[in-house]
Amino acid sequence: MKTGNFLTLASALLLLFVSGCKTSMNSVENAQKTGQRQMVSDQRAITDKSLASKVSIVGVNSAMTPGGFLKVQIELLNTTRSPQRFSYHFEWFDANGMQITTLAPVEIPDQIQGGEDKFISSMAPTADGRDFRVKFIAL
Amino acid sequence: MKNKILMPLLAMTVLLVGAGCATNAHYVQTGGNQNVVTIGQINIQDYMQAADTMTGELLASGALNRVANPPAVLAISRIVNNTGQQIDMDLLTKKIRVALLQSGKALTTTTVGLGGTAEDPMAKGIQQENDFKSDQQTTRTPDFTLSGKIIQLAVKAGNTSQSTFSFQLSLTDPKSGLAVWEGEKEITKQGTRSSVGF
Repeated sequence: MKTGNFLTLASALLLLFVSGCKTSMNSVENAQKTGQRQMVSDQRAITDKSLASKVSIVGVNSAMTPGGFLKVQIELLNTTRSPQRFSYHFEWFDANGMQITTLAPVEIPDQIQGGEDKFISSMAPTADGRDFRVKFIAL
Repeated sequence: MKNKILMPLLAMTVLLVGAGCATNAHYVQTGGNQNVVTIGQINIQDYMQAADTMTGELLASGALNRVANPPAVLAISRIVNNTGQQIDMDLLTKKIRVALLQSGKALTTTTVGLGGTAEDPMAKGIQQENDFKSDQQTTRTPDFTLSGKIIQLAVKAGNTSQSTFSFQLSLTDPKSGLAVWEGEKEITKQGTRSSVGF
């Protein structure tokens, strides 16, 4: 009898714990888009398969700002039902493929809810920025 | 007899595990994900993130391009500290200044400062001397001034503490007195205690 009660309580607690970790996201947007995204073909190097399977890169697009800086936007999708924490940072390269050194690379912590689709973006630190690389780390 | 063997073994295991957890002094990347995170204070990675975001927004706005003689000249005005900690504002402003200089869109004057004080008094002295000798003003007046505020909002629920730091900046055209660009970056940290890493 005691074991039965204990098992019921344990299952209830486990259920509560699991449901507490789950998040989901509903969204709505205009179907007829007026803005046209200029998509960029990307090349990926995956060393953390676990993160890549949870937070996938949907697409990359770029645009030039009025000041002549390259701006890049990345669309991410959390394919799981639980929130995922990660950090990312952008590296920029000039026309010769040389890395543009900034003060210090800024690593940005971020979080994406279960099933959420979100964008991250960055802008080249100088007008010479032509290419980029983004590094993601699971937290 | 068994205890005599087990106890030293257990003690040795505890010692080994303890030694494995202790970290010797080592270098970490500034602003990287191995930096210490505290809830009630602004950490170096927060300054870096705020400066990086707001510099990007300022450059993207194109506000600095709207000057007669580019690059624009910027003077640093008052940035109010409304947090519970003492802040050296250069931790924020210097990063923005360096990034703007590297972008080629703005230069910061070191001879014009708040209340007539100059960041570089020697340069100001030489400039005044040159102006006196040539009998004309060589000083380029700033096209914009940068002012702002850092605000801390702290709340607590049970053992969990949360701090939001709001970094607010305004770029003002002193000729019109109008803010031509304004930026705000909020960073919120939550937890029960400080930690190493994000």
